[in-house]
Amino acid sequence: MIPSTTMNAVPLRVLLVEDSPSDAVLLQESLAENRPGEFNFTHVESWAEAVECMRQRPFDVLLLDLSLPDVTGRETFMRARAEAPHLPIVVLTGEANEELGLDALRHGIQDYLIKGQACGRQMVRGILYSIERKQVEEALKRAEEALRESERQLRQWNSELERRVAERTATLEETISDLEDFSHSITHDLRAPLRAIRSFAQILGEECLVCGRSRAQEHIQRITNAAARMDKLIQDVLQYSRLARSELRLEPVDVQALLRGIIETYPAFQPPQVEIEIQGTLPRVLGNEAALTQCFSNLLGNAIKFVAPGTRPKVRVWAEPGGSPNSEIRNPKEGRSPKSEPENKTSGAAPGHSVVTHHVSPITSQASPSVRLWFADNGIGIPKDAQQRIFNMFQRLDKSYDGTGVGLTVVRKAVEKMGGKVGLESEPGHGSRFWVELRAAAETGKRAGAGKG
Amino acid sequence: MDLIPILYVEDEEADVVLLQYVLGKVGICNPLQTVKDGRLAKDYLAGKEPFEDRRRHPLPGLVLLDLNLPYWSGFEVLMWIRQQRQLRRLPVVVLSSSNRPDDIARAYDAGANGYLVKPSALAELTSLVLGLRDFWLIHNRFPDALGAGASDSAG
Repeated sequence: MIPSTTMNAVPLRVLLVEDSPSDAVLLQESLAENRPGEFNFTHVESWAEAVECMRQRPFDVLLLDLSLPDVTGRETFMRARAEAPHLPIVVLTGEANEELGLDALRHGIQDYLIKGQACGRQMVRGILYSIERKQVEEALKRAEEALRESERQLRQWNSELERRVAERTATLEETISDLEDFSHSITHDLRAPLRAIRSFAQILGEECLVCGRSRAQEHIQRITNAAARMDKLIQDVLQYSRLARSELRLEPVDVQALLRGIIETYPAFQPPQVEIEIQGTLPRVLGNEAALTQCFSNLLGNAIKFVAPGTRPKVRVWAEPGGSPNSEIRNPKEGRSPKSEPENKTSGAAPGHSVVTHHVSPITSQASPSVRLWFADNGIGIPKDAQQRIFNMFQRLDKSYDGTGVGLTVVRKAVEKMGGKVGLESEPGHGSRFWVELRAAAETGKRAGAGKG
Repeated sequence: MDLIPILYVEDEEADVVLLQYVLGKVGICNPLQTVKDGRLAKDYLAGKEPFEDRRRHPLPGLVLLDLNLPYWSGFEVLMWIRQQRQLRRLPVVVLSSSNRPDDIARAYDAGANGYLVKPSALAELTSLVLGLRDFWLIHNRFPDALGAGASDSAG
């Protein structure tokens, strides 16, 4: 390689293509004069000869006349460029042909010299600069090539990555669809025999009624009840697994309206059997209406179900700002936070009961304000040591009450899926206060404007 | 007027017996034919052996169709019926234990006239059968022909 600024001991190998012998001699002389011994000329008179030479041995630079016997003008440097893409080329033009020289520069020729005009020093400089320029150009080209190569590599890796992701996604989707099919066939196949057991037991019962065998009827009733219970279990577990799999879309939900709707839909939630009171105005939360309906129905259902015999169920629902750190898991000895009861009510709960919180993705009060919805009942209450367990699947504390032990598991899963948490405070004989904490929805302009707090 | 024959396509024998029991209990006397898989349903409707005798195996006016069937699924039976020139108007009500939204949508897409989920208690089945009777056997008007034959191509 040629050092860029100073000439070295090894002469530059110059291929001079010039059909005029006098011009060739003149040029060689004026160059040699300036830098004796630093140029090693090979002189040929036609393009064909030049090609022949270049194919035989390497040169450091090509000096090219543009009026050769076998090719002239523009065609000359176009061919030369194509023949030797990496070789520095300087073209020699006549005085009248400077335009051609400029054209050559635009086509990757390093320089042009006007014959008879340039002095020896200028020519030397022109040649050296051309070599230098070509080197830089070549280096740039290599760098660009390397860049293109790495881009290509990157694209290849990228597409490989995409392919793998697509492959895994497909596998996952297949697994999910398999699971769905599985749970579907479980319901289908498990429930079909149950339907038969239940229905035929019932038919048998009706027939026993006719022949008046009361003991047999009792047994049949047990079969029917057990089958009905099994059926409910399957449905509940299926409901849970559907919930656990599904993506819940969150949107602002008017809790007040939703709860009123639930209460109005179910006679079991209405007086005179039960008394459900919504205290104050419940705010809008960020949640999924279907999931919230399920949660609230389950919580209200539990609240009115687990009461001492002869007691008329009373449920109070209210809201308070959530996220206060002292209402999380607390030491039982600390007792209840005064915030967790509305001011106008006294509670039968004594100090010394415990608090349990369940959550996966905690709501940080800094991120968005949260709301805690309370459901307080006058039921039998839940012993301290059982409070951890009641959210687990199939956990039933008192078998004398009807139930599958899935309801609270569904509540917890649904609330967690909505980014919230659930918990309770309770003591046997003093009722339970379940709470659900969810993100507050931004109040709509209309409602905020009403300013009714 | 003759009572409309009903074809019940169901592989669960218990379900067949239950339906027969409830039909008898509420006093529905329409002839009930049953086949236990999808292929037999197709053969029955096509009048193929062993169902070629239409006096013993009359063409139904209403089909109750389970979805989860051996050989041919209920969907396939339904789609086959809708492709038959002579049968395409035949009222078909799906009676399945699946309440999967996918299945329900697919059944309607395949041309079901109704979709009922098998209840798990006898009382509910009775109420469902009474509903079927009121809608399909009392109030509903059936087309004169089940398919567009050469005779009614003008309609």
